[in-house]
Amino acid sequence: MSHLKSFIQDQRTDKPLLLMTHVVYGYPNVEQSLEVMSHLLEEGVELLEVQFPFSDPVADGPVITDACHKAISNRPQLGACLEHIKDLAERYPNSKILLMSYLNPVLNYGVERLAEDMAGIVPGIIIPDITIQNQRMLEPLQKSGVTPIWIVTPDTDNARLDGISDIAEGMLYCVSNAGVTGQQASGLENICSYLTRVRQHSELPLSVGFGISEAEHLLRLKGHADVAIVGSALLKAFNKDGLTGVEMKLNELQSAISKMSAC
Amino acid sequence: MSDEGYFGQYGGSYIPEILFNSQQQLIESFREAMADECFLQQVKSEMQNYSGRPTPLTYCGNLTQSVGGAQIYLKREDLNHSGAHKMNNVIGQGLLAKRMGKNRVIAETGAGQHGVATALVSARLGLECTIYMGAHDIKRQYPNVFWMKQLGATVVPVTTGSATLKDALDEAIRDWCTNYDNTHYLIGTSCGCEPFPEMVAGFQSVIGEEVKEQSIAQIGRYPDRIYACVGGGSNACGIFLPFVNSGTELVGVEAGGIGDGPGEHAKRFNTEQARFGIAQGYATRFLQDDQGQLQETQSISAGLDYVGVSPILADLEQQGKVRMTSARDTEVVEAFKLLMVNEGIVAALESSHAIAGGIREAASMKATDSIVINVSGRGDKDIFNVAKALNDVAFDDFIEDYLGEAAKS
Ligand SMILES: Cc1ncc(COP(=O)(O)O)c(C=O)c1O
Repeated sequence: MSHLKSFIQDQRTDKPLLLMTHVVYGYPNVEQSLEVMSHLLEEGVELLEVQFPFSDPVADGPVITDACHKAISNRPQLGACLEHIKDLAERYPNSKILLMSYLNPVLNYGVERLAEDMAGIVPGIIIPDITIQNQRMLEPLQKSGVTPIWIVTPDTDNARLDGISDIAEGMLYCVSNAGVTGQQASGLENICSYLTRVRQHSELPLSVGFGISEAEHLLRLKGHADVAIVGSALLKAFNKDGLTGVEMKLNELQSAISKMSAC
Repeated sequence: MSDEGYFGQYGGSYIPEILFNSQQQLIESFREAMADECFLQQVKSEMQNYSGRPTPLTYCGNLTQSVGGAQIYLKREDLNHSGAHKMNNVIGQGLLAKRMGKNRVIAETGAGQHGVATALVSARLGLECTIYMGAHDIKRQYPNVFWMKQLGATVVPVTTGSATLKDALDEAIRDWCTNYDNTHYLIGTSCGCEPFPEMVAGFQSVIGEEVKEQSIAQIGRYPDRIYACVGGGSNACGIFLPFVNSGTELVGVEAGGIGDGPGEHAKRFNTEQARFGIAQGYATRFLQDDQGQLQETQSISAGLDYVGVSPILADLEQQGKVRMTSARDTEVVEAFKLLMVNEGIVAALESSHAIAGGIREAASMKATDSIVINVSGRGDKDIFNVAKALNDVAFDDFIEDYLGEAAKS
């Protein structure tokens, strides 16, 4: 069983929902992005998704895209990013850190090299521009225990859900509805039947992202998902009020979860 | 072409999972349509009766004489409706969108030529149309933006990143991710995920097919060389593909911009700044830095200002079946002028790259040799840029007067 799966299942024994918060490495600069990450981990988020920025993030909406472009102007290095993640992982052993990026920076670094550098430190990687057809490209990662996190959507039909479930490990990333990150989560009305259907095809923990921004969204996920992924909402809060904004947003989300009764 | 849209190591499909069904539907519909005689007839009829095909192959006696060397012929894609080869592709994809039951199309555009062509066809076919265009390109190609709007299209300025074609393409993919149910992504060049490279190159191949017949009729044989400018690569694929393995040498001309440094040009070949990469849905040679970030590009012509290139051309170049060269902005403006004054043909700045490459090499060829240069589009849209490049002071006066009059009324 993958590290990630057992970690999530362990955490879930006494928590109704886990949080995976997202931070763009290097935005607005490396130092401040690390500060935000430390803060989130300090406050006990179970999972941290670190996005290594790419110039052409086609699955991201305006808020994250803009952050990526600003981050890139500081010329972030993937090697240094991994060192920083390693450092955070050592300081916060009770949480797990996942890497998110697009294919090109990953290929550029070298999949084998990345697998070596991430082994034992980062249990999973999210790459939104690869689908299971090209899974073999990521084999070295898989072999090193760095699980590629596969994405499913409300449109993924049952046959494809089976295909994805066959190879998936760790957790599934369930996109809440059509579109890119940061849009209003309008489709959450149907989230229940969608996640129920995914559950029928996979035993993996389910994480849900895209447009999750408020306490109310978390309530809808309760009992259907294991992990709520929050990205653009935290970035928006940061853009508005800096670290204090992040604190307030996180507080809002965490207290909503602690008010839920465990299930 | 091999399975799953690969051309050698290039091409393929690297798209978000959300697009999977929509892409499968597109691949299937495209295959069905191409096997349907009725659809092919419809495309042909629109190309003839709406766009004015076949376009002529024009012998340029004066230009040949002034260059001294090979006989120079021009393939006149500038005479298409809309003034560029882009029309060939939008007719095909527009009809395909209708066939798939989509009521909305989206497109990216650089020079605005593809945007205008898409807006024209959308008006004719009754499709809702949204065009993504880099804010930087809008500034240098406003006349095209004006026409897109008049035609009823929504033009969305893209301000992210370098605010040029690559960013417009990203934004179009994001729209497609969101609205695939009713929307067809009508990509403007032979790039992107399967089946776009093959599809666009296929609809454009009418150019090369015509040149085959016309060169036999007018030259008595196939030309020794064919030149085409290479942005995303659609006009080059269109004129080259029917000639692959025919003995004719195929030469692509990229934008040399203002220099060889990073960000100063849009050369995806013959430079260490470009190498294999995966972005925007497909694998090809991308201009990128040491971290794999796509680079900024520069060219006097917005239509060649792109970081990637058709996977079909990347593969053909690797196989040695297409040769790539480039022309700098200054050389391009000279070529533009030379053609204009010798033959009375105003070529687009994009196409003027092909002219520059062609005349540069024609000079050292024999008079018994002949070359065909693809004039992918006409230059009317470039009036502002050309006036600036030629330092035409009277043009500035005209603009000032025009603004003065507009302020009064
Ligand atoms: C006139 C003209 N020629 C060439 C191009 C470059 O595109 P491609 O390389 O796909 O032919 C453009 C693109 O906008 C164009 O408008």
